Amino acid sequence: TAGTLNLGLGVLAHLERLETQTNRSRKNLDPQTETAESALEAKIHKLRCLRDKLRAEVKERQARVKASTASVEPDQTLEVNEQEAVEGKQENMKAILQAYRFTGLSGKLTSRGVCVCISTAFEGNLLGSYFVDLVIQKPLRIHHHSIPVFIPLEEISAKYLQTNIQHFLFCLCEHLNAYAGRKYQADQLQSDFAGFLAGPLRRNSLCNLLSFTYKVEPHGQSFPFCARLLYKDLTTTLPTDVTITYQGTDALSTSWEEQRVCHENLFLTKPLHQVFTSFTRKGEKLDMSLVS
Amino acid sequence: MDSLQAEVRALEAEIAALRRACEEPRTPEEDASRALKSLQEIQQSDSGAWASSKDLKGHLGHLESELLFLSTLTGINIRSYSMRTEDLTSTEKTEQSIKKVLQKHRLSGNCHMVTFQLEFQILEIQSKERLSSVITDLNIIMEPTEYSELSDFVSRAEDRRDLLMFFQSLHFFVEWCEYRQRTFEHFKEKYPEAVRLPEGAVSSCMAVRSPREPGFELIIVWRIQIDDGGKVLPKLDLLTKAPRRALQLDETRVLETAPRGFRALLGVLGIEAALESLVKSLGVGEDH
Repeated sequence: TAGTLNLGLGVLAHLERLETQTNRSRKNLDPQTETAESALEAKIHKLRCLRDKLRAEVKERQARVKASTASVEPDQTLEVNEQEAVEGKQENMKAILQAYRFTGLSGKLTSRGVCVCISTAFEGNLLGSYFVDLVIQKPLRIHHHSIPVFIPLEEISAKYLQTNIQHFLFCLCEHLNAYAGRKYQADQLQSDFAGFLAGPLRRNSLCNLLSFTYKVEPHGQSFPFCARLLYKDLTTTLPTDVTITYQGTDALSTSWEEQRVCHENLFLTKPLHQVFTSFTRKGEKLDMSLVS
Repeated sequence: MDSLQAEVRALEAEIAALRRACEEPRTPEEDASRALKSLQEIQQSDSGAWASSKDLKGHLGHLESELLFLSTLTGINIRSYSMRTEDLTSTEKTEQSIKKVLQKHRLSGNCHMVTFQLEFQILEIQSKERLSSVITDLNIIMEPTEYSELSDFVSRAEDRRDLLMFFQSLHFFVEWCEYRQRTFEHFKEKYPEAVRLPEGAVSSCMAVRSPREPGFELIIVWRIQIDDGGKVLPKLDLLTKAPRRALQLDETRVLETAPRGFRALLGVLGIEAALESLVKSLGVGEDH
């Protein structure tokens, strides 16, 4: 085909040169009109040949495409068993496609490209999912998405989208899962341990800066500790910086200082709501000792 | 004259249109990601399927394309999946409009040469305010079991019921294993006399010996570890073997400090270049 096209192009170029020549010679010599006409007729003849060649080629192409899709077209005489087998296979594949959400990345092909769905989870809790609709073009672009505005999507796209789509999606998945995990912890603290907090938990939308005032004894009257948790690394669910300050009314003693340091360590190493679960358990243990 | 010229123009226009119809689909430029490349190929061959999506076999082809894309993207090939549900809602809970359903999932597949079989349970509780979905049990069976680094990781994933971490870390772990294997094989091919892979194809170490001084051997140990958070990290170390006489003569303690030097070299040159320079340092390949 390339050869034919090149031939066609060559012929056309030649014909164009002929035409220019003919036009030039026509301007100079009027009696040459007849020659000019015959030159045009020759050109027309050549163009007709080229056109016929191309028409035949297009027909051949169409026939080939038809032949390949014919095997895909439903055969009216398909055996019932075969149909059932195909339907069974289809159901199986649909199920497997659904199962991909457990890997974190799933999706469907669209007419423009692909719509990838990112699933999030934290400690076995299945949390929300987000989508990114990609248009397969050069350059690759995002048609639309449901990524929250405080996730650095532009930064991640700029780094990876054009060069490595896999890396782009994994990075996004990492950020979204970390955010979902941090949010889950904050939500749990607020809902299940509200009794331990003085006032609401203060947080930003990215849930990577939290501050709250708390106590450790469920029946205590005062809230001696003030905590500030900063998650500098947006791909983690544990804080990078923890500051606990003691603001109780008792004179600062070594036991308070010990507790303060202990808490700092706890918040750095355990998920937020689990830290408070351990406070509850400690409280229960204390109660038990009082009874005995 | 004019009619002839008009005919010429008409013919040229038709030829241009026919040429467009004959155009080959533009092949995509080389792309760093295999996933995207396969997707583009799928899109081009599948363009007919969009028109006839109602038709059964065409639809199957479309599903196959989606599966191929996802398995290339995630590195995980899911071969079978089934789920059944058990309604645990008691009459008491129904009154409070709380619905409890236990899902039992079975999934099997492979990530390159590693195959897995998973059985897990998800408890779904639907109340008026929210829907919660929690994985309550996770059992993982993996094969082959030669990758000792994997067994600890698998128990951790099971304990934490962290499916996501399991799949993602498995994918990266296997990628690193394949890269390690390719790298070791490359060196074995390039320096067949000097390089030895003591554990065969899936070796975690590579021994390099100078053909002229058989007593000396450098052993590069390349472990692939999965940390507590599921991050996959390569860990390379150097062991040196030398005849006792050489050790006695080694006043500047070159052999003792070699492992530390190797680690520094890794940081500067990266794995392949560091290994290459190590092999060359034994005078291998000088006689070629």
